[in-house]
Amino acid sequence: MRNPFKEFGCLSVEKKELPLERIVRAREEVMGQMIHGYLKLVEEEVKDLVWLVEHSRVVKAYSAAVKSIRDLQYDVDDIEEFCGELDSSNKIPYMISGPAGIYVSALINHAKEDRIVLRLRDYQRTFHFLGYRLPEGKTLILQGDVGDFVGAGLSGGRLVVEGSVGNWCGAGMMKGEIQITENSGQNTGEWMRGGEIHVEGRIRSVGKTLFGGRIFQRGKLVMPQDLELDI
Amino acid sequence: MEDKEKTLREIWKDVRRKHLFPELPHPIWDEQEERVALDIKDKRISISESFVQELSQFMDPVQAISGLLDHAVSHYLHCPWDLSTHLRLYREAKKVLKDKQMAQKATGYFMDVVADTMCISQKESHLPEVYRHIRRGIMDEALHALYQKIWGVDLGVKGYEEVARKLSRLPYLDRKKWTETIKKFAKIVQSLLEVEEKFGGLNRPNPMGEHSLQQYSSDEINEGLKQFAKEVETPGEFKEIVEDLQEELLEAMEPNERGMGLGPGRSLDADVLYYMKLAENYSLPVRKMPLEKSGALYPYQHVPWEVGMPFRDIDPWTSFGKIMPGITQMWQRREGEMFGREEATPDCIVLIDSSGSMTNPRQSLSYAVLGAACACDAYLRNDAQVAVYNFSDAKAGGSQILPFTRHRMAIYKTLCHYFGGGTKLLIEDIESLQTRNNPDIFLITDMQITNLETLIQYFNEKNNRVTAVHIGDNEHVRTFRKSMALRKNVAIFSVEKKEDIPKIVLGRIKEYFHSATRF
Amino acid sequence: MASQSNGALREAVHEIHDYIQENLYFNRPDMTVNGKKYNSALLLCLISGLRKGKTLIIGEPGLGKTTSAEYVCSLLYRFPLGTIWGSEVAGHPEQTEEKIIGRPDLGKLNLGEEVVVWSHFAMLPVKIVDEINRLPETKQSMILDGVDRGNWEYLNDAIINKEYCLFATANYQDRGTNTIIAPLVDRFDLMVESKHPGANLAYMIGMRGAGGAVLRHEELEADFHRVLSQRTSYEARMEAVESLCDRFGEILKNEANITTLSRAQREIIRAEMDNIPFDLDANAFLRMVLCELSFCHRFGQKRSNETCEEGCHFTGYTCNGIRNCISNRFPISARNMAQGLAWFVGDREVGIEHLKAILPYTLAHRIQWKDEVIAQHEKEPRTDPLPIHMAKQCVKVMHRRYMEQGGQIKNALAVACRVAEGESLEPIKGDHPIFWEIRKDLGEEVLEQ
Repeated sequence: MRNPFKEFGCLSVEKKELPLERIVRAREEVMGQMIHGYLKLVEEEVKDLVWLVEHSRVVKAYSAAVKSIRDLQYDVDDIEEFCGELDSSNKIPYMISGPAGIYVSALINHAKEDRIVLRLRDYQRTFHFLGYRLPEGKTLILQGDVGDFVGAGLSGGRLVVEGSVGNWCGAGMMKGEIQITENSGQNTGEWMRGGEIHVEGRIRSVGKTLFGGRIFQRGKLVMPQDLELDI
Repeated sequence: MEDKEKTLREIWKDVRRKHLFPELPHPIWDEQEERVALDIKDKRISISESFVQELSQFMDPVQAISGLLDHAVSHYLHCPWDLSTHLRLYREAKKVLKDKQMAQKATGYFMDVVADTMCISQKESHLPEVYRHIRRGIMDEALHALYQKIWGVDLGVKGYEEVARKLSRLPYLDRKKWTETIKKFAKIVQSLLEVEEKFGGLNRPNPMGEHSLQQYSSDEINEGLKQFAKEVETPGEFKEIVEDLQEELLEAMEPNERGMGLGPGRSLDADVLYYMKLAENYSLPVRKMPLEKSGALYPYQHVPWEVGMPFRDIDPWTSFGKIMPGITQMWQRREGEMFGREEATPDCIVLIDSSGSMTNPRQSLSYAVLGAACACDAYLRNDAQVAVYNFSDAKAGGSQILPFTRHRMAIYKTLCHYFGGGTKLLIEDIESLQTRNNPDIFLITDMQITNLETLIQYFNEKNNRVTAVHIGDNEHVRTFRKSMALRKNVAIFSVEKKEDIPKIVLGRIKEYFHSATRF
Repeated sequence: MASQSNGALREAVHEIHDYIQENLYFNRPDMTVNGKKYNSALLLCLISGLRKGKTLIIGEPGLGKTTSAEYVCSLLYRFPLGTIWGSEVAGHPEQTEEKIIGRPDLGKLNLGEEVVVWSHFAMLPVKIVDEINRLPETKQSMILDGVDRGNWEYLNDAIINKEYCLFATANYQDRGTNTIIAPLVDRFDLMVESKHPGANLAYMIGMRGAGGAVLRHEELEADFHRVLSQRTSYEARMEAVESLCDRFGEILKNEANITTLSRAQREIIRAEMDNIPFDLDANAFLRMVLCELSFCHRFGQKRSNETCEEGCHFTGYTCNGIRNCISNRFPISARNMAQGLAWFVGDREVGIEHLKAILPYTLAHRIQWKDEVIAQHEKEPRTDPLPIHMAKQCVKVMHRRYMEQGGQIKNALAVACRVAEGESLEPIKGDHPIFWEIRKDLGEEVLEQ
């Protein structure tokens, strides 16, 4: 049968490719894998799109997240972009704050970079569980207000929040430092075992059960000593 | 450069061929601009002679001109492509940057990156060489650092790794993602723009030329605004962008076009302009001349003659001069069809409800106003006149009457007026607009009219063709339908989705225009 | 030698063009090719005449539709004007086959012999139909079928024109005109408008009066008439006619210094035109145009009785704005005329510029636009009648798309070539309908999901 494309046989099929195309392709691949990992996590961990915060669930979700990103090659820009995708929901049909934050924390904790800055100011959604189990040697700077359980289970890393945090900040943190430039919510430092939390603004309430660690408000130690609550 | 005109001609010939013959006029030399390499007004590219002379200290001037022309042509070919894309990009940038000047700058730089990258990816160009030798500000340095990364060339820029790294991840070559991409772009360059603003750099022109709206022709601006009106979700969005760029739009439009959207003073009435442009997306073609029987018989075909048939239609030629069955043929005649006389289009009275239950057209898209606008345009295009009765609580002064006119702006201003009060019309107001020629009447309402019975009675007495378009169903609608059931000249359309209003209105008008029956 | 004759023949055609433009048909240039301006009606009629094409010339009454065709035919084919006038078919409702094609020789018929007296219209290679839309549809059909193949039949006899071209004129729609139905309009290669020349040129025409006296020669016209009326074979008469044509050519050369073309020269020109290849961009662009005018993802192809679905993915393409599917006559017309234009301007290859110049005139009469698309354009400022204007806008838009995507399209075609030859490559995917068409041609099932 006659080849209707014969005249184009002389053209080379090698297309000139710019570095941009390789960069974008690689980025899209990584993003695809990240999103796939997150969606898989949600499918496995979240039943009926409801996820209750229980310690065992959190631990399980984190382990699953770590497992799914084990072979992923990514950098801090990918993490930031992933947060953008979570916020915009263009490619992600459902953003469930808890598992999302845990997944992001897993990404942060296993990233190559030691210092990670995330600009959350422009996002509509609130992220929870950011900085979960941040390991020693890592610094995470969050620009903007964040949600609950920020820095929960901190494991030696340094977490700086340039904004306010929600409830249960630093819950169960083992060691490391959390700095908050504005306010914190209720149950700050609940179940702390070590490390320090520095809040420059108001602390709505401190956790009832602290097994260790210290909480400072505007440079002044408030826990385990007397707490002066702003009314 | 000896004989610069000849040089430019030769280079333009090559550039044009390289880019597959874009429809751009021949570029010209500009002896005035120094800092800026290029300017584009109404598609005409001007190249700064002094800029090229400066560049020719470092590179071949022919290559410099070729590179600059590549840049200009790429803007035409790839980005922004048209005004609506330009406005869309600006809108997205402004969402992030919140400042008009910064948003304009960011949009301009984004378009430069896209256009240049598209050019480099598809053609051989001297553009990198031009950038290597150009004088740079802060943003220029950052973008050239980006180019080094994404083009794989050395432009002699040091630093800006982080910005370049972040910017290099964006899919500039994917047009479909530009809306998202420019937001990310703006976010990344925001800090640099703030630094530029601080040192007055924002007022310095882009060395490769600014992207003013004057690069578009008047027709392109009209088309662009039309497209943009269709894309935005609310009139407010349209208004915000158009008002930001008002001066440029007015400068770029032709003098007689400016009247289309002018408000008090020289300002554009963006709300009215929005509906004007949006309605243009729903145009109905001008009514064609109807085909009718000509009334004249003409010989159509031959049929065999049989004994007993008349002789007068026998064709002697085809019968070979013989009269005998089987040989003789006769003409069969039939009436021809031809173009008949064009019916004049009747005038139209538009009754539009702007009571509190209707959408405020300046805040959200009002399909009622849009439908009325479509009806008005259809009649105007067919050389008819339109009168408007905008009513809310007419008795309390909540009404506006515009007598028959062809002045589009006045019609739209009346349509867009919103009272937001009660719903009661005055029959005498409608009657004052009636003429001997029985104009068509379009009523657009949610039918919650307090004196509906009066209106029903009025329509019962009149012979005008009435089309009532209402949203939703309620007791008043049922009353209206029941009362109008026997009236052949009244058609009632219930609209489930407001988006159907333009289609319904236009469908009805189309029927009117093409039917021979008049009531 | 070949290139010398190329140049000489081209020069001769240019001379004919310039002569008509300066002395006979005054009009403004309205198209630009290779930086040079031409009047579309004159240039395209000339090319169509050389290419054995069919041109529909529209325009207001009295703007030179018929006369422009007559001048072109006279100079290209070496017929005096009087002979051309005698062969023209006038469009009116009472035209018959006997008046258009031929009639029986009545004398011989009475003796029992069927001998056909062929009309000049049927015999001569130049065919002009004045106001074709005044003819009933059956007669339009008869003429166009005949010119399609050059084959004229009457009773049991037939003649075959070896060389022919058709020019048909039509006024705009008014009382007393029929429509030219779509299958018949489709047979025309080109549609052009003979425009008003503007006040200043019109004044000159008024001063000069009707031109063309130099193209008359009563003595020769009588000879033509005599030869055409002979009762000899058609071929013998055509040989004799050709000699008369050569004589007329000599007279024009000696008396008016106009170089005209013999049949052999016209054949050479046609052969040269046929050999002009398309460059790859023109090739790909034409394929892209064909695609946009025939493609329908949902229904397999465009059809006049099927409407587009709301929210179709391909809304931005030309297929969404038209009702019908483009015919296969279009690429033939486009190719022939583009080669003609390329030859005329002296280019070795047909490029996009030639196609861009020609396509609107090959498309204007073939596209049936949707009402809403017509509505968008009919009130736009323009210098052409609406169908030509819309065709120009359409070609402009498609060209712009090609400038943007041409590289990928050519790449896709190159890959497709290799796939068709058996290489295991993945066909390139893209948004434009042509990518889908390529995949279909490679045997992939690409139905809408």
